[in-house]
Amino acid sequence: MTEVLQIKNLTYKLNLVSILDDLTCTIPAGSIVGLLGANGAGKTTLMRLISGVAKGFHGEINVNQQTSVVNRKQQISFSHQLDGSDRRARLAQIVHDYTLLYPDFSATQFQQLADFLELDLHQRLSKLSKGNRNKFIVALTLARQVPLYLLDEPFDGIDVMSRKKIIASILKWKSETATILISDHHVNDIANLLDAVVIVKDKHVVAQEQADTIREKYGESIEDYYENLYTGGENDD
Amino acid sequence: MKFNDKVPIYYQIKQYVYQEIILGHLKAGQKLPAIRQLAVTLTVNVNTIQRALSELTTEGIIITQRGKGNFVTSDTQLLQALKKRIVTEQFSELYDKMLALKITPAEMVQYLKNYIDQRKEVQHD
Repeated sequence: MTEVLQIKNLTYKLNLVSILDDLTCTIPAGSIVGLLGANGAGKTTLMRLISGVAKGFHGEINVNQQTSVVNRKQQISFSHQLDGSDRRARLAQIVHDYTLLYPDFSATQFQQLADFLELDLHQRLSKLSKGNRNKFIVALTLARQVPLYLLDEPFDGIDVMSRKKIIASILKWKSETATILISDHHVNDIANLLDAVVIVKDKHVVAQEQADTIREKYGESIEDYYENLYTGGENDD
Repeated sequence: MKFNDKVPIYYQIKQYVYQEIILGHLKAGQKLPAIRQLAVTLTVNVNTIQRALSELTTEGIIITQRGKGNFVTSDTQLLQALKKRIVTEQFSELYDKMLALKITPAEMVQYLKNYIDQRKEVQHD
């Protein structure tokens, strides 16, 4: 399999505080990969760096053979938290902005996703429940036609039914060649969905393994494997 | 479908397909749902479904017809052998466990007979 994402010796500091230190990992094309780590481990920062939103790092980030920020951005759809959007704007207006902003945004696919997720586009952004807001963000993110999707905590703080809907929409609309990196701290929610996991701890990747290999080789659930890596490390200190 | 989270998912999907065939829910020569449909129904990754199906294809249980989809083999002998294999697997596990308890084969037969009678009675009540 070819690789869609290659990160080599990535080091990143913010205001002299080290956030990521010598992080290396590769993600094969066509897979769904879970990016796991405790709160504050640097998952969001890593996604921001990959997508080019955050800059000023040392090391190499290669997305689909592209290293420059401008070219990388065209390869990636990153789930924005819509913090920059006008809270009073109606969803339809935000969708319209997206079609202008991203040439690879498929209005047809967005409509299919929105119908499936039962989104009312006449509503205002500020009126959305947490579940509907996350659904809207997922629909916007997946509607772009790119090789790599970054979903940052799409299941954070939402109910079971919304989660199931979002998972189904990922399975339905992910093209065979597309790759999705999903960050989450509740592994069990998405364990069956994943081809592989990347675990971030202490500023770098401590493990990267195929999901079924973890079950087959170690006889462990993904969650146990992940928790052992975290608690095992503390015992070593 | 509920998965055991400590057992590889592709393996559990294979077992599920075996079961559906033995129960006759999937018949010889019957077409399987599309891979993506299976992925959505079972809430697992397309790649996982593909891995399970490709192993079933290697075993000859599933036949892939290009452009048409995946079908259960129409080779009934093979399907009968499959049933025999699955049953044997279950017995071999049981046999090993009994052996570990130092129970002789003759005793095993007796235990099994008794157990079956017991179950029959429960069902009759």
